[in-house]
Amino acid sequence: MTVDATVRPDGSPLLVEDLTVRYPGRREPSIAAVGVTVAAGERVGVAGRTGAGKSTLALAAAGFIPRVVKAKVGGRVIVEGQDAATAAAGALLGKVGIVFATPANQLSASKLTVREELAFGLENLGVPRDEMDARIDETLARLSIGHLADREPFELSGGEQQRVAIASIVAMGTTVLVLDEPTAQLDPAGTVSVADLLDDLARAGSAILCAEHDPSVLGRMDRCVVLDQGRTIAFDVPGGALAKAQAAGGSPAPTLVRLAHAAGLRPSLAFDEASIAAALETTARVATPTPPKAAAGQTLPPPSSGWTPSHERAPVRVEFENLIHRYPSGIEAVRGVSLIIEPGEAVAILGQNGSGKTTLVKHLDGLLRPASGHVLLDGRPTDERSIAELAAVVGFVFQNPDEQLFERSVEREVSFGPRNLKVPPADIAARVTDSLEAVGLTGQRMTNPYDLDLTQRKLVALAGILAMDPAVLVLDEPTTGQDPDGVLRVGAVVEAMRASGRSVIAITHDMEFAAVRFGRIVVMRDGMVVADGPPEAVFAPANHDLLASTGLTPPPAARIAARMGLDIVALDADRLLAAIGR
Amino acid sequence: MLGLMLLAAFLLPPVVLPILTIAILAAAWSAGLLRPLVRAMRIPALLLVSILVVNSLFFPAAKDILASFGPFAIMREGLTFGLISAGRVLVAFLASVTFLFTTLADDLLETLISRGASHRIAFVVLSAVQLVPRMRSRAGSILEAQQARGLSLEGSFVRRIRSLVPLIGPVLLGALVDARERTFALEARGFGARPGRTAYRIVADPPIDRWLRLLILVAAVLIVLVALGILAR
Repeated sequence: MTVDATVRPDGSPLLVEDLTVRYPGRREPSIAAVGVTVAAGERVGVAGRTGAGKSTLALAAAGFIPRVVKAKVGGRVIVEGQDAATAAAGALLGKVGIVFATPANQLSASKLTVREELAFGLENLGVPRDEMDARIDETLARLSIGHLADREPFELSGGEQQRVAIASIVAMGTTVLVLDEPTAQLDPAGTVSVADLLDDLARAGSAILCAEHDPSVLGRMDRCVVLDQGRTIAFDVPGGALAKAQAAGGSPAPTLVRLAHAAGLRPSLAFDEASIAAALETTARVATPTPPKAAAGQTLPPPSSGWTPSHERAPVRVEFENLIHRYPSGIEAVRGVSLIIEPGEAVAILGQNGSGKTTLVKHLDGLLRPASGHVLLDGRPTDERSIAELAAVVGFVFQNPDEQLFERSVEREVSFGPRNLKVPPADIAARVTDSLEAVGLTGQRMTNPYDLDLTQRKLVALAGILAMDPAVLVLDEPTTGQDPDGVLRVGAVVEAMRASGRSVIAITHDMEFAAVRFGRIVVMRDGMVVADGPPEAVFAPANHDLLASTGLTPPPAARIAARMGLDIVALDADRLLAAIGR
Repeated sequence: MLGLMLLAAFLLPPVVLPILTIAILAAAWSAGLLRPLVRAMRIPALLLVSILVVNSLFFPAAKDILASFGPFAIMREGLTFGLISAGRVLVAFLASVTFLFTTLADDLLETLISRGASHRIAFVVLSAVQLVPRMRSRAGSILEAQQARGLSLEGSFVRRIRSLVPLIGPVLLGALVDARERTFALEARGFGARPGRTAYRIVADPPIDRWLRLLILVAAVLIVLVALGILAR
C-alpha cells in the first residue's frame, strides 16, 4: 500500500491528474491529458459525444484501468490518497465504486432480497455478521430505499435496480462513487429518482463523478467536464461547460443552456428555470436588439443527410379499432384504444413504463394479437396475416439492438431483412447503401457490429429496418443512450420517412425529441389514450397537470414558456426565442 | 431425507412403495405443497404409463396370461414388474420434487459453503439459476425482433435449422456483452478480492433438525442392512 500525503494538497477524495489512457492495439489515446478533481460532497458530470472518452475516464477513476482493463496509462488517479495504478487488488474496495448503465447487470444475481444484495459487498469485504444489519439499515435509510429491503432484486424496475446497485456500493463504506451513464436505460421517473439519490449522497459527503448524456442530470451537477476526442474542451459549472463545449465544436448545448445564454444569465443559473423565465421576460419587454449569432449557437445543425427512401411504395393507413390486449397473466395492458394514423404522419407515443405503449405497437406486425378489437393496415385486419407478411409493410426497430444483431459485418446485418423479403440482390445492394447513408455509417460497411459502441449498434439496427423499405416505421425508444448528434440523425430519418409519405410511430421518453420531430403526440396511461393532438396542444399549460399524472413533464422550452405565461407553446429554444422577438 | 426415500424405494421389498408414496404426499400436504406436487406429476406421467404398458405386454419369459386382446396379452409377471418399476420411479420423482420445493437453493449453498465448499462455485450455480428467467425473456425478445425482420420459422427442415442462426447468435453475443458489465459490477463489489469472506444469511439449524439427521442416518444404515439380507433373517 502506497500512501502519499503530498498528492492530496486539497484533500479531495478523487484526483485525476494529467491522465492519458491508450488501449492496446489503438494508435490514438482514448483520453489525453485529462485532469479532474472531485471534492467531498461534490458532483462532477462528464459530458461529451459517444466515443469521446467518458467511459474510459470513469473506468480509470474507479481504479479499473489498468488493473482490470489493460491499457497504457500516463498521469495519475489518486483515490483517498492512494495511487490507483499501484494499489493492490482489493485495496481500493470500500473507497471507490462504479455503477454502469444496464440496471440488471449491476446486481450480483445471486441474492434473493435487496437486503442480501447489499450484504453481498460486505461479505466480500469480510465484515463480521453482527455489524452487517446496522450498515445495511443505515444505507437503506440514507438513500430512502428502505421500502425495497425485502423485495426480490430482479423484480424491481430499472430505476429501483440502479438505486439498489448504488446503495450496494455505498454500503461498503465507499466515499468516491463513479457512474457511467446510470440513467441511459431509465424512464423519466427512474432518471429523477437516481438524480435525487445522487443529491442525497453528495449532501452526506460522497464525491461523485457521473458520465451522462441527459441534460436534466448534468444540470444538477456542481461542475461538468466536457470531453471531445479524448480531450477536455470545457470544465466549468454545467451551464458554462455545455455552452463552451458547443462553441468549441462539441455537441449542441441543451435547450435550457441556450435559453439562459440568450437571456444573458450567468452560467451558474443556466438550469434554473425560474431565473431563465424571469430573465427572458425582462429582455423580451425591453426588446433590445441582439447580435444574430451568439457564441452559444442559435440554430441546430442541419439534418445529417439528405437521404430519402429510394423506393416508391403505396402509402398505408393504420387503424386501431377499440383494441384490447390481455396478457396470459390476466393483466389488461391495452384497454380500448382507437387511433387512426394517416400516411405521412409522424406520431410519438408517450407514457410511463407499463402504460401499454409497447403492447399497443406490437400489434402492428402481429407479434401480439388483439383480445378484442382490430388493427387494420389499409383497411385489412392484421389478424389474418402472418408476422412475416406484415414485416414487409411494418418495420419495427426494437429498443435493444443486441437482441437482433448477429452477422459478421454491418453490410450483411443490414441486408438480412431485405433478403428475408426476397428482394432482388441488385436492389438489396442499393438499399443497404442508402440506409447506411441515412444513419451515417457508410464508412463502417465491413465492420463487425459488435466492434461498434451501443449507440452505433442502435443505428445499425435502424438501418437494417430502413433497408426493408417499410410503409410504416415503428421505433421503440430510438434515442436512449444517443448523444445529441445521434438524436439529430434519428430525427432526420423520421422526417425523411414522413416526407416520402410513410408513417412513423415512435415510443419515446424524450419529450423534446417528440415535440420537435413529431406532428402528433399520443399520451397513454393505464392502457388508454389520455391525450392526442399536435405537440402545441398536448404540451399546452392546461395539460401540464394531466402530463404530470402520467409521470411526464413537458419539454424544457414549453416549461419556460408556461412560466412566462406566454400564449404560444414553444417546443424548442429557437421557437421560444422567435416568439419573444429575439 | 431424499436419500433415505431413494434407498427405501429401490432396496426394500416393493410392499413399502405405496407407504412411501402416501408418506411423501402427506408430508407435502402438511407443507401446503400437495397441489403443485400433483401438478408436477404431469411430467413423469407418460413415462410411468409406458413403463407399465411395455412391461405388461412384453415382459420376457412371462407365462401367466391375465387377459388378451388379439395378438396382445397382459402377463402377470410383466404387470407386477411394471408396477414395481413405475412405483420406484414415482417415489423417486415425488421425493426429488418435494426436496426442490422445500429447499431454497440459497440455503443449501450457504450451508455447503459454511462446510467448506467454494463460494465461487456456489455463486456460479446461484447466478445461473437466477439468470435463467432473464435469458428466457431475452430469447423471447430476440425471436420477436427477428420475426419482425421477416425471419420465417416455417418451411423445410434445412430452412428451419438455418433460421436458428439469427436466433442463437444474439443470445450468445448479447451474453458476452452482458458478461463484461457483470464482471465489472462484481469487481466493484469486491467479489473474490479478499480472503476471509463472511456470510450474511444464517441458515437455521435447530436441535430437532440435528436429531432428525441422526435418525435418517440410522434408518439408512438399517435399510442397507435389510437389503443385504443381514437383518432380515
